[in-house]
Amino acid sequence: MKLVWKLLRQHISIGQLAGFFFANLLGMLIVLLSLQFYQDVKPAFSQEDSFIKNDYLIVSKSISMVGSLTGSSSTFKEAEIDDIAAQPFTSAVGKFTATQYHVAAAFGVSGMGFSSDLFFESVPTQFVDVKSDDWHFNEAEGIVPIVLPRSYLALYNFGYAPSQSLPKITEDVVGMVEMVIVMRGNGQEQSVRGRVVGFSNRLNTILAPEDFINWSNQKFAPNEDASPTRLIVQVNNPADENIMKYFGDQGYEIAEDKLDAGKTMFFLRIVSIIIMAIGLLISALSFYILMLSIYLLVQKNTQKLQNLLLIGYSPARVSLPYQLLTIGMNAVVLVLSLVALVFVRNYYLDMLWSVFPEMDSGTIMPAILLGLILFVVVSLINVFAVRNKVMAIWKNKE
Amino acid sequence: MNKIQLQNALPKVFAQRTDIESDIWKTNVAFERGHLYLVQANSGTGKSSMCSYIIGYRHDYSGQILFDNDDISRYGTSKWVDIRKHSLSHIFQELRLFPELTAMENVEIKNNLTGYKDKKQILSWFDAFGIGDKVDQKIGKMSFGQQQRVAMIRALVQPFDFLLADEPISHLDETNSRIMAEIMMEEAKKQGAGVIVTSIGKHMELPYEHIFHL
Repeated sequence: MKLVWKLLRQHISIGQLAGFFFANLLGMLIVLLSLQFYQDVKPAFSQEDSFIKNDYLIVSKSISMVGSLTGSSSTFKEAEIDDIAAQPFTSAVGKFTATQYHVAAAFGVSGMGFSSDLFFESVPTQFVDVKSDDWHFNEAEGIVPIVLPRSYLALYNFGYAPSQSLPKITEDVVGMVEMVIVMRGNGQEQSVRGRVVGFSNRLNTILAPEDFINWSNQKFAPNEDASPTRLIVQVNNPADENIMKYFGDQGYEIAEDKLDAGKTMFFLRIVSIIIMAIGLLISALSFYILMLSIYLLVQKNTQKLQNLLLIGYSPARVSLPYQLLTIGMNAVVLVLSLVALVFVRNYYLDMLWSVFPEMDSGTIMPAILLGLILFVVVSLINVFAVRNKVMAIWKNKE
Repeated sequence: MNKIQLQNALPKVFAQRTDIESDIWKTNVAFERGHLYLVQANSGTGKSSMCSYIIGYRHDYSGQILFDNDDISRYGTSKWVDIRKHSLSHIFQELRLFPELTAMENVEIKNNLTGYKDKKQILSWFDAFGIGDKVDQKIGKMSFGQQQRVAMIRALVQPFDFLLADEPISHLDETNSRIMAEIMMEEAKKQGAGVIVTSIGKHMELPYEHIFHL
């Protein structure tokens, strides 16, 4: 084998192989990186609700000057809710129920106390996109789980904190802060403890469990009308034009921002696919360089190959050195591109984590799998091409 | 393999010719194991073609060539590899040595494949041929006569039923061609093999059993 290699390595062009090597490395890295980046960023946008499957709309009544002056109600009546539920595009409807009494929350951070008036709302648990075992209220325990909009945290981390030289805070840290909630109304006052259990992309309000809202409204504002001003509607297909038409006719407004995440995902996907296609193109071109280089090599060594075949070497044995050469190079390219991928990924993950602190880190399995598939496919083609070339010599056609 | 037969064989380039008078072409001829043959030829009568057909390198002939009554045109790749490794040894007229390798490496590249002879035996042949000092010399730096002797040694480091020697001594003096003939016949006898020598002029002095004119 050593002697055969000594013969067949004649005429190997280091320049050509290096050209292939770096071009293929670049192509492979781009392909793997685009896939990996897409995989890494996807959860931040899609969360629970996949952007194709179904989506949630927040519906409210238009607030008009006339309405405010005439005092016409901006709350939804039962008949109106039933009508929305009966629409073909609707798969579920939930009511936003707000606290009807006075609420104040106080919390302390490293000795400094803050206090603020606020309100809570609830929606049926099935609409809450934060899965928590603690998502219920028990009067005996006296702890209220709270879900905040994720945008609040982003507002703090990227708007307020940098300008005030304050540290960024993660969702975990927020979860450790305990607050005291003071409820007043109906001649009574009571304190409970509150704790943030999660952040919602879907619901842009301060959310408490439905059983807590019902219990507290009953206790502190038994005579107030708790009709909802906002509804959450789960639709099968947010692109259905009947949705816009129906809500427009009824004079309702839709908060559409949820559809934007879907669009972002869509564009992210398109961009990833384009970049991956560019990477594949570079890989294909580099593969072409390799094939040309190998063909040229076989051509230049035709006489040697022919002599080896004539003294009893089999085509398989004569092909082997070139096949191992290409497989070896492909393997080194795969390993190096995976190593480079890990470096680049660590770099962008740091950035992503500062934007989406709760994001799952995920794995590079998809990239490894794709890399292996590419490696196997390209190597197989190489192996067959070399074998074909040698067989052409065997058949005396070169 | 015990018998090589050519039945009505003719190189396709001769198909138009009507004036062929040959002991080999367009007739039935058989080479048997254990016998010694000389094929004498003039230039351009298809001597190298005959060798190429028998070694399975070319197939541009009409008629049939049979090994032990099997038509060799039906042989596949692995069968030919097996024949070239174990049954048929060929000294090419153009030698087909590797100029990048040393004399020893040229022999080893074959012996590695067959594992048939030990290094001691190979070195003793180098000495017998008077090129013992050229063992580590690159083939490209050796004379054609010296290369012919290396090609002979390479042809002997494999088991064979037939040895096909295409003008093996064209560039050798009489002493060396005698030595080569002796060693070749010694090895052929040991293996009980048939030997087919070709020549267009001077040929090895050997007790040929059949002489064919191509």
